[in-house]
Amino acid sequence: MIPLSHFMLVSAALFCIGLYAVLSKRNAIMVLIGIEFMLNAAILNFVAFSRHDKFAASGQVFALFAIVLAAAAVAVALAIILNVYKYYKTIDPTEIDQLGD
Amino acid sequence: MPLLSFCGILLFTGRPDRGGAFSIFNIAVSFVSSLILFFSIWNQDPLHQQVDWFTIGNTTFRVGILLNNLSVMMMLLVSLIATLVHIYSTRYMKGDSYLFRYWAYLGLFCFSMFGLVIADNLLLIYMFWELVGFSSYLLIGFWFTRESAVRANKKAFIMNRLGDLGFLTGIMILFTQFQTLDITELFAPNGLVAQTILSGDYWTFGTQQMPAIWLTLAGLAFFFGATAKSAQFPLHTWLPDAMEGPTSVSSLIHAATMVAAGVFLLGRIYPLFDETVLFVIASIGAFTAFMAATIALTQNDIKRILAYSTISQLGFMMLAMGVGGFNSGLFHLVTHAFFKCLLFLAAGAVIHEMHHLKDHKGLDFDHQDIRNMGGLKKYMPITFITMTLASLALIGIPFTSGYLSKDAILIQAFDWAEGKGGLVRLIPYSALLTSWLTAFYISRLIFKVFFGELRVPGYNTAAVSLHEAPAAMKNVLVILALFCLFPFFSLDPLNYDSAWLMEGMKSSPRAEHTASIFHTLIPIVVNVIALLVISLAYFWYVRREKAPDFSGNPLYRFSEGQWFFDKLYFRTFVGGTTSLARSSFLFDKRIVDGLVNLLGKVGLVLSVISHWVDRYIVDGLVNGAGLLAKAIGNFSRNFQSGRLQYYLVWMLLVVLTFFMIKYFSLAI
Amino acid sequence: MSILSLLIFLPLLAGLVILVLPASFQQRYKYVALAAVIVQMLLSAYIYINYNGNAFSGIDEESKYQLVEKLSWIRLDLGSLGQLQIDYFLGIDGLSMPFLVLTSLVMLVAILSSWEIKSNLKGYFALLLLLDTAVMGVFSALDFFLFYIFYELMLLPLYFLIGMWGGVRREYAAIKFFLYTLFGSVFMLLVIIGLYFSVVDPVTGNHTFNMVHMMNPANYVDGSIFNLAANQELFGIGARLLAFIVLFVAFAIKVPIVPLHTWLPDAHVEAPTPVSIILAGILLKIGGYGILRICVSIFPDAAIASTWWLGLIGVVSILYGALNALAQKDLKRLIAYSSVSHMGFVLLGIASVTSEGINGAMMQMISHGFLSSMLFFIVGIVYNRVHNREIPSFRGLALIMPKYTTFVMIAFFASLGLPGFSAFIAEAFSLIGAFNSESINGLIPRWMAVAGSLGILLGASYLLWTLQRMFFGQTRLMGGEDWKLKLTDINGRETLALTILAAMALLLGILPSLAFDKMNASVLELIRLVNSI
Repeated sequence: MIPLSHFMLVSAALFCIGLYAVLSKRNAIMVLIGIEFMLNAAILNFVAFSRHDKFAASGQVFALFAIVLAAAAVAVALAIILNVYKYYKTIDPTEIDQLGD
Repeated sequence: MPLLSFCGILLFTGRPDRGGAFSIFNIAVSFVSSLILFFSIWNQDPLHQQVDWFTIGNTTFRVGILLNNLSVMMMLLVSLIATLVHIYSTRYMKGDSYLFRYWAYLGLFCFSMFGLVIADNLLLIYMFWELVGFSSYLLIGFWFTRESAVRANKKAFIMNRLGDLGFLTGIMILFTQFQTLDITELFAPNGLVAQTILSGDYWTFGTQQMPAIWLTLAGLAFFFGATAKSAQFPLHTWLPDAMEGPTSVSSLIHAATMVAAGVFLLGRIYPLFDETVLFVIASIGAFTAFMAATIALTQNDIKRILAYSTISQLGFMMLAMGVGGFNSGLFHLVTHAFFKCLLFLAAGAVIHEMHHLKDHKGLDFDHQDIRNMGGLKKYMPITFITMTLASLALIGIPFTSGYLSKDAILIQAFDWAEGKGGLVRLIPYSALLTSWLTAFYISRLIFKVFFGELRVPGYNTAAVSLHEAPAAMKNVLVILALFCLFPFFSLDPLNYDSAWLMEGMKSSPRAEHTASIFHTLIPIVVNVIALLVISLAYFWYVRREKAPDFSGNPLYRFSEGQWFFDKLYFRTFVGGTTSLARSSFLFDKRIVDGLVNLLGKVGLVLSVISHWVDRYIVDGLVNGAGLLAKAIGNFSRNFQSGRLQYYLVWMLLVVLTFFMIKYFSLAI
Repeated sequence: MSILSLLIFLPLLAGLVILVLPASFQQRYKYVALAAVIVQMLLSAYIYINYNGNAFSGIDEESKYQLVEKLSWIRLDLGSLGQLQIDYFLGIDGLSMPFLVLTSLVMLVAILSSWEIKSNLKGYFALLLLLDTAVMGVFSALDFFLFYIFYELMLLPLYFLIGMWGGVRREYAAIKFFLYTLFGSVFMLLVIIGLYFSVVDPVTGNHTFNMVHMMNPANYVDGSIFNLAANQELFGIGARLLAFIVLFVAFAIKVPIVPLHTWLPDAHVEAPTPVSIILAGILLKIGGYGILRICVSIFPDAAIASTWWLGLIGVVSILYGALNALAQKDLKRLIAYSSVSHMGFVLLGIASVTSEGINGAMMQMISHGFLSSMLFFIVGIVYNRVHNREIPSFRGLALIMPKYTTFVMIAFFASLGLPGFSAFIAEAFSLIGAFNSESINGLIPRWMAVAGSLGILLGASYLLWTLQRMFFGQTRLMGGEDWKLKLTDINGRETLALTILAAMALLLGILPSLAFDKMNASVLELIRLVNSI
C-alpha cells in the first residue's frame, strides 16, 4: 500500500512544474500545457483522496468530470490562441499587453 | 414749529449742489430755523419726538430728536458758524476745480453735525458721529492729488475709527445693561442710569448685573471715543495733519464744530461718569492742554500753531468736564468756537494773500510760514484788528468772551482741587500755566505776522502788492470779531456767573459753586501774567526786529530768563538748548506718532507672516493631501502592466500570502 | 405650479431656451438671460411684499411656513425597512425669504456684468442659469434630500464656469474649489442618512427627510443614533455633537472660516467677474444659511455646547482675514480676504444665540451680498479694461475715472461699516449681540466682541490704504499712455448695476426695518427652539 503522502508529493511536483510552465514560458501553447499539468495534479489528488472517502468513490467521479471539463477548456483555449495568433501574429504572452489599457 | 424747522434743516443741508449760492441759501435757511428753534426751546421744556425705527428681538429701536438747551445751543452755534464759513468760502475757494464737490461735502458735514446734536439715541449719535468723521475725511482730502493730504485724511479717519471702537464698546456695555440706547431714558435725572445700584463688586440694574468695573469701563470707553474726535492725548496727532484741508474747512470742522463733538458727547452722557472716569478726564484734559500749548510755542506754520492751540483749548474743555464744570466747559466750547473760527479765517485771509503774492511774482516760498510774513498790519488792517481781537479772547483778556469762559474753567478747577491732596492739585495749576503759554504763542504769531517788515526771501518790499481780503471774507471776519466780545454772552464783563449760557446749562447735576478766594484772585493773576507775557513777546519779536538769535536758541534764553519759576521743570525735560516745546513736539512726532506707525508696521509684518503661513502651511496641507493621493495612484498603476503572466504571479503571491497568514495565525 | 417652483425653474427654462436657440442668435443670449432674471426679480419682489413676517415665522412648524408646496416625489417600498419617503417640499420663512430677494438681485447684476464674456456664450449662459436654479432651490427646499440635490447641483456649473472661463490658473482653482466643497458635502450625506433612519414622519410613520420634522425631538425613533435621549456615542463623542460638527464643517467651508478658507482667494481670483460676484454675493451665504437652518435648528443641543468655539472661529476669521487683506497686492485677492473677515461677523453673531446677534448675522449676510458683489464688480471694471489688477500698477485713478471713483468710495466706505449703509447696522448688531451674550445666556465671553470690533478698525485700514494708493495722488499708471486711453470711465450698464447695489446697501442702512421686520419673528422662534432644549 502506497501511503497518501507519496501521491501528494507527486501531485505537488506536477503542480509546481505546471506553475513554472505557466509563469515562465514564452509560448501560449506551453502555458496551456502547464495549466494541464496543474489540472492533472489536482485530479491525481482527487483520486488519491477517494480512498479515504466515506461515500462510494465520489473523488473518482469528480476526477472524471474534471478530465472532461479540462478537455473542453483546452479546446476553447486553443481556439483563443488561434485567434490571438491571427490578430497579433504571435502567441508570446509577454508581447500581448493590451490588457493593461 | 420746531419740527418743521428741523425738517427744513434736514432737507436743505443735505443736498449737494454745484453752486455756492444755493449752498449758502440752504445753510442760511438752516440758520434761521435754528434761531427759531433756539428761542422756542431755550430754557423751556425739552422737545422730544420719536418714531419707531426697527425692531430687533424684543427691543424696538426708536429714533427721534431731542431738543434741549444743550442741543439747540449747539445747533445755533453750528449753523451760525457754518453760514459764515460758507460765505467766506465763496471767495476763498474761488477758482478751484471740482468746486461743487466742496459744497456737497460741506453740506454733508452740516447735515451730519446737525444730526449729531439733535439725535436722541446713542446708536444714532454714533451713526452721525462717524458720518461727521467721514465728511471731515472727504474735506481734508479735498485736494486729493496732494500726497500729504491723502495721508492726512487717512490718518484722521483711522484714528477717529480707533476712538469709535471705544464709543461702540460703551454702547455695547450700556445696551447689555439697560436694553435701550435712548438718551432720555438712560440719562434723565431719574433715568435708568440713576436707578442702578452700585453695591460691592456689582453694578446692578433690575435683574441685570455686571461687575462694577464695567461701569467705569463704559465711562472710559465713551471718553476714549471723545478723545479721538476732540483730539486729546494720546489720539491728538491727526488734528495738526488735518490742516492739509482748505483753511475754511479747518476753521469750520477742525476748530469750531466737529472737534467740539467730543465735548458735546460727554455733556450728553454726563450722568454716566463716576469719580474715576471724571478724574481721568480732568487729568487727560489738563495734560493735553499743556502739551499742546508748549508745542504751539515753536511752530512756524501758521495753521499748525492754531491747530495746537485748538487741541490745547479742547483740553481746557475736557478739564472743565472732568472737574464738574459741565456748564463752563460748554460755555468755553461756544466762545472758543467763535474766536478760533475767526483766527483760522483770518489766517486763511493771510494765507490767501501770501499765496497770491507767490503766484504773481513767481516766487518760491512757503506761504504758510510765519517767518516769511511780517508787517502785514499795513496792508490788511481789518484782518489785523479782527485777528488781534480773537487772540485777546483766546488769551482771556477782560472784556472778551474768552475771559468769561476760561476763567470759569480755571476757577472751577481750583474749586474742585481744593481739599484734594497731592497730584490732583497739579491739574488746575497746569491749566493756569497753559493759559500763559497760550498768551505767548498767540502773541508771537500776531507779532510775527503783522508787525515788522515783510520777510519774504528775495523780494523787494518796496513793490508790495498785498491788499485787504475781498469783501465777502472781510465782512465775515468782522461779524465773528463781534462775537468775541463780552456783551453777547454776559452783560457783566467781569463775572462769568451772570452769563446767560451758564444759567441755561446749570441743570447739570454736579456743578457746585463755593465762593472762595480763587474767584477774585485767579482772574487777576491770569491777566496780569498774560499781559506780561504778551509784552515780553512784543519785546522779542517787534522791538528787537530779529529775535535774539544768540546760540541760535532764542527759546532756551527765553525760558531761562523769564520763566524762572518753571526752570527746574523745563530742565527735567530738555536740560538743554531747544526747550520743552521742541522736545514735546518731538515726543509727539516720534513717540506717539511713531507708536501708531509702529503698530501699523507690526500689523503689516503680522499680516505678511500670516499670509506666509496661509500660503505654505495651511494651503500646503491641502496640496499635500492631493499629492499623497497621486503618489498612491502612481504606485498602484505599476500593477496594471497588462501582461497576463505578471497578473498570474501577483495572484499567486496574494493567494500564498493569504495561506501564510492563515497558517501562521492558526499556529499562533 | 406655485410661485416658488416658478422662481426655481424659470432660469432653468431660460437656460434650455438658450441651448435650443441656434448659434446665429449668439448675441441675443444675454438678453434671454436678462429677461429671465428680471422676471425672477419681480417674482421675488412680489414674494417680499406679500410676505407676512409675524404670523408665519416658520422654523420648526410646517404650518407656519409660507408658500408651502409639498408633493410626494419618491415613494419606494423597502419591505421590512419601511417606505422610502422623499418629498418635493418647498417653503419659506424669515430665514430664507431675504436670501431669495438677494439672489435675484445679485443674479441680475451678475448677468449685467456678463456682457464682457466673449467666448462660448451658449454654454456660459446655460450654466449660469442652471446655477441660479440650484441656488434658489437650496434656499427654498425643506426636504433634506431635495436640499442636498440642489446643493450638489450648484457645484457642477460653478466648476465649469471657473474652469472654462477663468483666469490663468483656472483649472487649479476650479479643482480646489470643487474638492473642498465636495469634502464637506460627502460627510454631510452620511449625516443625512443617519438622520433619515432616526426620524419618522408622525403622520405616516415612515422614515422621512423632512427637515421640519427633524427639528422636533419627539419625532426621533427611540434608541436611534440621533435620538436626544439615547445619548449615543460614536468615536468617543456624542453622536449628535459629531453630526453637528460634520454639518458645521460642510457649511463652514462655504462660509468660509479660517482655516478652511484657502479655496476662496484662489477661486475668486481665477473666476470671471460675474462668477466672483455670485460666489461672494450668494454662495457664501449658503454656508451661513445652512448653519442656521440645519446645524443650529436640528442640533440645538450640540450648537449650544459648541458656541464658544464658534465664536472663537468667528473672531479669528475676522482678524485673520483682515490682516491678510492688509498684506495683499492684488485687489481682487484683497477683497476676497475681506470677505473672510466680514463673514466672521456672521459666525460671531450666530454663536451669541441672542436676537441681536442672529439678526445682525442675517443682516451681515444680506449686506455683504450686496457689497461684495459691488466690490467684485468694481475690480472687474478695471481688470476688463487693462487686464491688470495689481494695486501698485495704478495711482491717481480719481483724476481719469471720477464717476468710477465715486462708486469705489461708496463701496469701500459702505463695507468698512460707515453708518448709513447696511454693513454698519449688521456689524454693530453682531457685536452687540456677542457682547450681550454673557449677560443673557453666558455663551460667549465679552472679550470676543471687543476683539471682533478691532476687525472694523483693520477694515478701515486696508480699504483706506487701497483707496489712497490706487485712486488718489497724481495719475501714474504702469501701462503709461496706452492705459490712460483704455481706462475710460464707467458706461451706462455698469452704472446701472452699481447703482442698484449701492441703493440697496443704502436703503437697508437707513431703513433696516425693511429686513428686520421680515426676519425678526423667525429669529425669535429659532432662539426659542434652541433654548427649549
